[in-house]
Amino acid sequence: MKARKVKQLDPDGTLADNAQRVVAVRIDELYDFVPAVLNPKRVKRLHEMRIAAKRLRYVLEVTSSACFGPYALTATKRVRELQDLLGEIHDCDIQLPRVAQIRAELSADAVTELGRRAGGAADLDPALASSLPHSEDWAGLAALEHYLTVRRGLLYDRFISVWQDIERSAMRARLEYAIAERPSLTTSDAEPAEII
Amino acid sequence: MAKARLVPGLSAQTRYADAATATIAVRSDELFEHAAGVLDVTQIEAVHAMRVATRRLRSVLEFYEPCLNPDQLEPVLEQVCELADVLGQRRDPDVELQALAAFAAAASEAERPGIERFIASTSQQQQQANAELSQMLEQIAADDLRGRLAALIAPPPEPVAAPEAAVDPEPSGQPGDDAATEPAADAPVPAKSGWLRRR
Repeated sequence: MKARKVKQLDPDGTLADNAQRVVAVRIDELYDFVPAVLNPKRVKRLHEMRIAAKRLRYVLEVTSSACFGPYALTATKRVRELQDLLGEIHDCDIQLPRVAQIRAELSADAVTELGRRAGGAADLDPALASSLPHSEDWAGLAALEHYLTVRRGLLYDRFISVWQDIERSAMRARLEYAIAERPSLTTSDAEPAEII
Repeated sequence: MAKARLVPGLSAQTRYADAATATIAVRSDELFEHAAGVLDVTQIEAVHAMRVATRRLRSVLEFYEPCLNPDQLEPVLEQVCELADVLGQRRDPDVELQALAAFAAAASEAERPGIERFIASTSQQQQQANAELSQMLEQIAADDLRGRLAALIAPPPEPVAAPEAAVDPEPSGQPGDDAATEPAADAPVPAKSGWLRRR
């Protein structure tokens, strides 16, 4: 997913004014994934939302304490929390198909072997299905698949809860207000930018 | 995760192009400082630190894009993105293997063979990703990524005075007409490779 182009950036302008324009666009990008991501099956959209959160987080990391009002730092932490959570959901979404693929490959091997054992018989003797290749692997792979499925569900529930908190706390409005604020000159002159 | 280093002197009023120079210099240094030990699969935090440094560098290159020479920036950014991808491909199995080890430790005897099979598949991915990372590190050294990052934020060179011999002994302007042979003191400096873009 490509980042949206930010217009009217001016190399001769101040860092804060330019950063304000960039952050405003990155906020829009993040919020555009709602309501799509309120459906747990929208795997790709959840992944893209994570990338949008990452983009917003990194630009805030560079600029929040030097350029903006104090809420920008709070928002940076919330966005990072969101990004981490979406990252863990993504890990499950990547691992689950891999477990399923390995199970499918092993299953295909077992079926081939059973077919070989059957020879050209008119029907299949149940005894031939015993001790097929990879039978020792099923329990572990099933346990892993179940674990990842349930963990993904729990993480998604947590994501919904974090997102509701973000909405309730009016993060968007407060961050948009904060990026229009400028720290007092005395503060910014005295201290270098604090970056997380 | 390693904390990003402070960028000295950055403030709201800093000129955007000057902030680009200061920030990219710091983030470039961080990237190369974290390169040591990344190919050692037993020290997975090294890859993580370099990956985070790469992401931070990529982010600032994108953020300061309007201040940089696009012809220089494009190939540098492309290589930084490639490096980030390759580091990500190594990091994913690193993290997965760590989680799988904990899962295997909690599993029953009957479940262990299947989990170990999955671990073997993930280890194979890790080895493959490590080989790609090794190639990528050689590539960025061969392409002098560090030098190109430095060139991206290099200050404009001092204007070179024309040598005496090259001066036309009979200028086309009237004698004493300085404006005909000397550029105005406030004439804009043309953009050249290696210069930060100025408007």
